[in-house]
Amino acid sequence: MKIRFCPFILTVLGSFLLPVTLLAAKPSFSSVVQPFFENYCLDCHDGETKKGNLSFEELTVVSTENFTTWKSIWEQVALKEMPPRKKKNQPGAIDRRHVSQWILGEMEQLMKDKGGFDAHRRPAKANHLDHDLLFGKLPKDLEPASTPARIWRIHPQEHLVRFNELINKEPAYNPKTPGLRTRGDHIPWNNQGEVKVYYGLDRIKGQVGGSAAYAAAITGFSAILDTTGDHGLRSYPALYSVNGAQASQIASRAEDIVRFMAYGPKIEPYQLTGKLPAKYKDVDIRGTIESLFYHEEVMRPLTPVYELVQEENPSEEKLRSAVNYLFESLTFREPSREESDTYLNILKKSVANLGLKDGVILGLTPIFLDRDALFRPELAEYGKPDKYGRVMLHGHELALAINSAFSYLKPDAELKGSLKEGRLKTRDDIKREVTRILSDESIRKPRLLQFFHEYFDYNLAGGVCKDAKALSKAGGGGKHPNVMFGMTASVDRLIELILQEDKQVLKELLTTDRFILDPGSDLLYFSTREKLRKPPPQKKGEKKKAPSPEELGQIVLPKGQPIKVRIPAVKFTNGKVARTLVSIPREERMGVLTHPSWLVSHSDAMDNHAILRGKWIRERLLGGGIPDIPITVDAQLPDEPTNTLRERMRVTRVQECWRCHRKMDPLGLPFEMYNHLGLRRTTEQGKPVDASGEIIDSGDPSLNGPVKNALEMIDKLAASERVEQVFVRHVFRFWMGRNETLEDAPALQAAHRAYKNNGGSMKALLTSLLTSDAFLYRKVAHNRAGK
Amino acid sequence: MNMITTRRKMLRTMAAGIGTAAAAPIVPGFAKSTAQAGKPKRIIFFLQNQGFDPYTAIPKGLKEDAALDSFKFEEPIKDLEPIKDRLHIINGLHGQHTSPSHSAFFGALGGYRGGIGSPPRGATIDHVLSRNLPETILPHLCIGMDSLPNMRSRPTLATLSATGAGKPIFMHSNPQDLYQALFGSISTGEVRERYEARSNVLNSVEKIALQNSRGLPINEKERYSSYTDGFRDMNGLRSQLAGISDHLKKFAPVYGEKFTNPEFETDWHDSLLDLGISALKSGITNTLTIGSGRGEIFGAWKGLGVDKQGHNLGHMPQPNNEIWVKIRQYNCRMLVKMVKELESMPEGDGTMMDNTLIVYTSNNADKQHTSGANWPFILIGNPGGPLKTGRFTQMAKRPINDLYATLLHAVGAPVDRFNMEKSLAPTYHSKAGPIENLLA
Repeated sequence: MKIRFCPFILTVLGSFLLPVTLLAAKPSFSSVVQPFFENYCLDCHDGETKKGNLSFEELTVVSTENFTTWKSIWEQVALKEMPPRKKKNQPGAIDRRHVSQWILGEMEQLMKDKGGFDAHRRPAKANHLDHDLLFGKLPKDLEPASTPARIWRIHPQEHLVRFNELINKEPAYNPKTPGLRTRGDHIPWNNQGEVKVYYGLDRIKGQVGGSAAYAAAITGFSAILDTTGDHGLRSYPALYSVNGAQASQIASRAEDIVRFMAYGPKIEPYQLTGKLPAKYKDVDIRGTIESLFYHEEVMRPLTPVYELVQEENPSEEKLRSAVNYLFESLTFREPSREESDTYLNILKKSVANLGLKDGVILGLTPIFLDRDALFRPELAEYGKPDKYGRVMLHGHELALAINSAFSYLKPDAELKGSLKEGRLKTRDDIKREVTRILSDESIRKPRLLQFFHEYFDYNLAGGVCKDAKALSKAGGGGKHPNVMFGMTASVDRLIELILQEDKQVLKELLTTDRFILDPGSDLLYFSTREKLRKPPPQKKGEKKKAPSPEELGQIVLPKGQPIKVRIPAVKFTNGKVARTLVSIPREERMGVLTHPSWLVSHSDAMDNHAILRGKWIRERLLGGGIPDIPITVDAQLPDEPTNTLRERMRVTRVQECWRCHRKMDPLGLPFEMYNHLGLRRTTEQGKPVDASGEIIDSGDPSLNGPVKNALEMIDKLAASERVEQVFVRHVFRFWMGRNETLEDAPALQAAHRAYKNNGGSMKALLTSLLTSDAFLYRKVAHNRAGK
Repeated sequence: MNMITTRRKMLRTMAAGIGTAAAAPIVPGFAKSTAQAGKPKRIIFFLQNQGFDPYTAIPKGLKEDAALDSFKFEEPIKDLEPIKDRLHIINGLHGQHTSPSHSAFFGALGGYRGGIGSPPRGATIDHVLSRNLPETILPHLCIGMDSLPNMRSRPTLATLSATGAGKPIFMHSNPQDLYQALFGSISTGEVRERYEARSNVLNSVEKIALQNSRGLPINEKERYSSYTDGFRDMNGLRSQLAGISDHLKKFAPVYGEKFTNPEFETDWHDSLLDLGISALKSGITNTLTIGSGRGEIFGAWKGLGVDKQGHNLGHMPQPNNEIWVKIRQYNCRMLVKMVKELESMPEGDGTMMDNTLIVYTSNNADKQHTSGANWPFILIGNPGGPLKTGRFTQMAKRPINDLYATLLHAVGAPVDRFNMEKSLAPTYHSKAGPIENLLA
């Protein structure tokens, strides 16, 4: 090693002995970065050697000109990509963190008035914080954890559920029919993969035409709020606000909702009797609202908004009652007197201007646009901060934080009672409520399923556009997207089953031999491609009959148990459509990662996506990260129809690509034992399929080594404690709504202990996290300063 | 922290209330000085649902590229005969990758896979073009025509246009609401009362939203400002329109019985068209997208004497079909009306029509149950002269995306490809750059 700038050696040695917090408090280029460069980088990146045409000797400040270089240095250092692994002289985790922190601080500062820099706060970069720092020996003098005071824009599903509650009566939970659509579940897909709330869904009893006509005839609306991206965790509050377009749509939707609450659907008499009048004879009314038939009975919730329009001159009390009802329904808390007065005055003015009928509609819409109807506050505005500037959440903010960790409905009577009676103050109080909610199946917990959607990404299959020829070649047919939407619902249900059992949850999700199938459409996907046969020819004069699975060469499974699933549909389904819980031989499949819905979610139009699959394993199970693709890289595989994907992926093995691809490709290629629709296969391009791969640089030496296929790899990973810890990190992120920091290490370790000591219990894991400082405390320094 | 979209982006995606973004306060009718001479200043897309069968449009005997002047137009499009020197009929493009059977929805103008309920996968060509035209108060207005009950119960619907992935633009189908939004400030009587009442309520909401930002931490205040800015922009847009109410008065359509008491759905279709034309003539928008049948497989035209409606219309073969002749003729009358109205407006050395391009097609390729192997188009107008006119062109296999890339070329914003990945281009016979045969 060349020795330069001797004076810095002392600084270097000295700096490594300082406690984390002290260093983190005021890192500087000369105290942190320069010594690091000296020790680990300049051998290759000095002005003379300039490897990769990059010299660090001129890099002393972060500027707009060298911003990209610094960003790359941050990623390479944080992810242990540099110095190269073959070099013996490697910095420790703390040193890497110090350099990362300095670079991030400088980049934030530089970009403050240039649109900001927040890449490191995004979920995709959360693994840049070294796993061993979080789960190793805790550094001394760690500050107690907290989360910044914030407002959390509600999830699009939560927003839809709040609206749905105003206009439809969903069936209550029935312990005899678990799995059916129930009040409080997320709004399910319809059979076209569309998530919509429909007006009068509870009252429609029939229609003219088939299901396509019905779906077009019934009036509904999709989510107005958005989420960004489709892979990985994406529910962080800092990612979202509400823009003008959305506000405008909410205002417009609000008028429709209030009108429906007040007056119900516009129904002609024939729509109650089901007899079409003569004027519709020979007229095709399919797909129009005139084609729907309704039950006589009014089914929608009759609320104070309905009461309000029953009289010509409603009293102020009635007006206020409607205001308060809507406010609580939309914000999940009672309005203050001031808030009630404000909205009452708007309503009164609107009624005075437009008359009761129209005035009520317009006058109540502002409540839909109240801040707290769209953002859940976690501001901890009152209470004395501790010496770290933290205040524990309290009052309705705490109640709503607990409630929103699980539910899209407003807090139940018990939680509200605890709040009102002063029994929601201590950590024990919170533990009591969390435990109660977790143990009560009738309290629906769509947030849990949302987490597993975002963690596994198995719910994207219906949206992957398949090339028609590639689809057919792989064994698929025309209804492929619809089958995928149905399969996602089946995986949802399987996850609910595993959560209900609450034993070794992650291991079970990864290795279970249980699958839920729609025998009518799913058998094909669980079959082996080479065994599939064309349907036998129809004999002349013979009655047309669907070929049996055996005739088609599809998988033959034991009968299995019937199970109810929230089938994607516009209508409420009563569970008549059969789904079956079956065991599939473990040498064929195990767990979510071998389910066609996960495999297709991680495929593209023409083929498997081994890189995406490998990235998933690297990030979600091993806790590693992949730096952003440099913009100069033309990331395309060659189009070679006669070569296997593995052969086409040779281009990733060139030196500049392989440094990252070595961390993904060998983890994704074991899934080549399935084709891009998720069917098993034994051959590819006429040769025996090669599903071999390798786990490298996992952070757990016992995991490293070659694997012969995905099943062997999954088995190994599912037994790893590190993989469990990485899962805990993801659970933390989803429920805290932010990336973990070093200060969160104690909470993460405690959560993992709780999970492990309770037999792999998700409930224990969540209880631990939801009673941690990270969940309960908000840092309010900025808040108070801003007042 | 600033993880949300920039304010500029937000302005650009402010899609709903008025159909699109409220941009900087530009005086209508006076395009920003950056507009290039000879380039289009406005674009109109007209999409008829249920497919555009080429044999209802292509003059008999035409199979190869040719000038239109010596060919007689078929009955369904005979109204276009007088302006055939300004037309370009294009046959043979494809949209097989857009899944157009029953409708490609956003895929028709996006050039990507669409389908019922599939959110847009990217910006659609109409919106991308609007971004490259001289800036107006409303960068993009979308109107949608359907049966009366559907237009009443679902006055806004988004199926065709988008500002980006997952960002649909809503079509307006209730002409009363749209009139109030665009021309409410010049109205009187009941319309004025509703306009005032809505303005008051929205101003109150803006005030409450601002009050609720007090006490927020600094970062959160910044994030929340997207929300408060949204109201400011909405209210600002209204006040911008109110500020030019004298100008708007000259262009507002007559708010008569067709608006307030329609006998047939076509009364509202006509009213919506009038509003669209007024928005173009008054200069408050540069892009108009018309969805006849609103991008779906239904729709009604009782006002034309067509009793059948909805899905069955798509099951009928269109050539020589009396119903489809009526619908296509109605479309053509609308196209001609737009041409004439824009011709009546002086602009520069010529008229507004000289700076306008109209694109007529379907969201369903050539028919309802289609593979998308053939997707006919008619272009009307040739601002700046980059395109051939008075022509019929028979294409061989190229995707609709290549036509959209050609349109971008025509507005001076050339791209190699539009919403077509390089890797998929050979599969779909897409070539980089504009379609040479269409260029003058």
